[in-house]
Amino acid sequence: MHSIFAIIRKDVLLRFASPSEWLFFLFLPVLFTFVLGMGNYGSDGKVTLLVVDEASNEISARVIKALERTPGLRPEVVSRAETEARFGTRKVDFWLYLPADLSEKHLRRGEQIQLLLYQQPNNLRAVAVQRAIQAAIGGESLPFEAAHQAVTLAEQYSVLRTEEERQQYFNEAFQSAHVLWTQAPQRLEVIRPSRAPVYDPRAHASAGQLITWVFIPLFGISALLAYERNTGTLARIMTTPTSQAIFLAGTIGGQVLIALVQMGLLVGFGVFALRLPWMRDPWTLAVLLFTSALAAGAIGVFMGTLVKNEAQANNLSILMGMVMALLGGCWYPLEFFPDAVKMIVHVLPTTWALEGMVNYLMRGKSLEDLFPQLAALTGFAVLFFVLGLWRLWREQSV
Amino acid sequence: MRRILLIALKDLLLILRDRSMVLMILIGPFLLTFGMGLISGRMGGGVSQSSGPRDIPVAIVNQDGQMLGNALVNVLSSPELAVLLEPVLVPDVETAKQQVEADQVAAAIIVPTGFTQSLIPLAKEWQAWSPSSSSNLAIQIYANPGRPNSVAIIESIVREFLFRVEKGRVLGLTAITPLVTAGAIQSTQAEEIGRALGESLARANDAKDLMQVAITEGGLTPSHEVDVMSSLAPGMALLFLMFTATYGARSLLVERRQQTLQRLMMTPTSPIQILLGKGFGVYLSGVLQQLVLIGTSTWLFSLNWGDALGVIALILCAALAAVGWGLLVAAWARTPAQVASAGSALMLLFGLLGGSFVDLSSMPSPVYVLSRVTPNAWGLDGYAILAGGGSLSQIGQPLLALILMGVSLIVFAGVILMHSRHFTQA
Repeated sequence: MHSIFAIIRKDVLLRFASPSEWLFFLFLPVLFTFVLGMGNYGSDGKVTLLVVDEASNEISARVIKALERTPGLRPEVVSRAETEARFGTRKVDFWLYLPADLSEKHLRRGEQIQLLLYQQPNNLRAVAVQRAIQAAIGGESLPFEAAHQAVTLAEQYSVLRTEEERQQYFNEAFQSAHVLWTQAPQRLEVIRPSRAPVYDPRAHASAGQLITWVFIPLFGISALLAYERNTGTLARIMTTPTSQAIFLAGTIGGQVLIALVQMGLLVGFGVFALRLPWMRDPWTLAVLLFTSALAAGAIGVFMGTLVKNEAQANNLSILMGMVMALLGGCWYPLEFFPDAVKMIVHVLPTTWALEGMVNYLMRGKSLEDLFPQLAALTGFAVLFFVLGLWRLWREQSV
Repeated sequence: MRRILLIALKDLLLILRDRSMVLMILIGPFLLTFGMGLISGRMGGGVSQSSGPRDIPVAIVNQDGQMLGNALVNVLSSPELAVLLEPVLVPDVETAKQQVEADQVAAAIIVPTGFTQSLIPLAKEWQAWSPSSSSNLAIQIYANPGRPNSVAIIESIVREFLFRVEKGRVLGLTAITPLVTAGAIQSTQAEEIGRALGESLARANDAKDLMQVAITEGGLTPSHEVDVMSSLAPGMALLFLMFTATYGARSLLVERRQQTLQRLMMTPTSPIQILLGKGFGVYLSGVLQQLVLIGTSTWLFSLNWGDALGVIALILCAALAAVGWGLLVAAWARTPAQVASAGSALMLLFGLLGGSFVDLSSMPSPVYVLSRVTPNAWGLDGYAILAGGGSLSQIGQPLLALILMGVSLIVFAGVILMHSRHFTQA
């Protein structure tokens, strides 16, 4: 036990020998969590829609009001020059152009008016935004359409004889349609399961960034092993009564301990700055974080037996960490992934860790519910620890 | 000039011989681009597919079983939404809710019994119409909280359908009721006309709205299709360009530690020539990295980066700006390890602020302003314009910004280094 603690102490001292370690240990993870959580999917879930109102009349004002009432949209009326500047520099994804001919005169005549929605290429929200706008503005032109329809139908049945009658019929139909539309009841009810908390993009960012920034240094155990091997200190340790298992336990133990402290700090940031329910069930959280760290640490050990030098190990750790985080859903929600990819990425520990944390945070799952994720993470830990031990033993015996 | 070139070529060769460096500057961005292509579905689909949720599984419980319930099922199963949605008819509400809770579907849409009846009055009801006669029967969306983006899309589709239904009701009642009241048509005819109106309006394709929203992609021609990979690949290339630049500039400190810089100083080569040579070596490696990545992605993913001249100009200017940052880090640092740490941190920070990881448009304004100090943001602006069909003449602003950034940083770093005893007295 004493040997294990000695190795842990040595590794902690080595890792924090440079103050720049704090950049990766705390500063960057917190910054990434904050920026991605607040900005990635929109902090309030609404899409900013710049509106250029070249009509500037009662109808265009009503269209803007209708857009303001639309769930998921945040219209902002600005000048065309400013809009084009902001859109050109990718500051906004969409802008809506209300042309000068958007007027009651044109609508009364039954002339079709085209509103242009400018969008950045390949935007995720394009379909939703277009449909939301169409539904919102449709209500404003509806009374005019209804009045035209009524007049056309009445003319078919020869109800209208003079132009005055036609005008009066149009006005009455317009009023009726307006009343009908404004008094229409809500015909859509969106229900979320009562047990599930409302989705919060900050929760995803917090869990995803926690995994990313903890897994990369844990994979960095490979650099520690490469360093020990290349400087000959590993061989020295092996000449002492310290066994490979104790060496590995100490190496992993130290890094897992640091990882747990780092996770604790990031969880603290999530709780106090982002108001996330990380502390809902501390025992479940502790088990989840510990198994995640253990799995990543074991992979780091295994990687350490494959690489040749410290630089290679460092770069491979960053690379593997980033790729696994990306594919594991830590940067973008797994929801975005095609089904086949969603299934394949379950070969990665990051996917299981993220699923576990998201289920814990957003779906309020208990320790028993998280059994599949915990079992998978433990499986990764055992598998790679055994593989690492075997390769180390083979290396020493050669 | 020859000396500068020799130093530059020597540094370039050293970088290319370093396997761990090759891993980071070539394989890294390639793997991440490939990964992003996988998760965006680009690897399994056509070039014009957009990113984001597709094949969204949605359960439909059509308890109504009449005109409007069936129309909604038809809309959700229409060819226009075939890529976006994967609707499944489920016999009962309980099963649908279980599927939502088991995360098998993004949402369950429940059309209640009598929904059609609640909106379209029977023949006998036309005479007794009043604005309040419509019942409050509502379609329910039982949403999966784990798939908010998919739910938002489903909700917008259902809302648009309901708008058309409501429109049909309003149009029908407004047009028909006065005729029935006036005795111009019979109640039986009214129901028939009303249903025909409702049916045609429930189909989005038949929409004849007086106000219509037409989509245009930032001034691009409607036929121009933009590949989702064209916004992902440059992000990764620029992210790792920063790594190449800072890691390359590290060689200044490595050479000093290995005493080869001191040897170089003893030759007739001036410190400025050494600095320019080393800067040019890093620049060449950055340009080479970008060319290889762009070439490979063009070949493997059939990716269209846009106007070739514009792409080359962007590569040259982005590499210049990245070298500026790399030299500045090398001028500030005292050890190669410090450059490595600061370089990795800068790479990630610039990646985050510059838009390599996320779309800058959804960021708060201060983040956007900050992004302008990164080569990533300007480079991505340029690549986005080119991928959208723009030409060299349209990327003048990003190019100018990158050149100004690169030149000013190189001059600034040069002044620091020339006054640093660590460099001049090496």
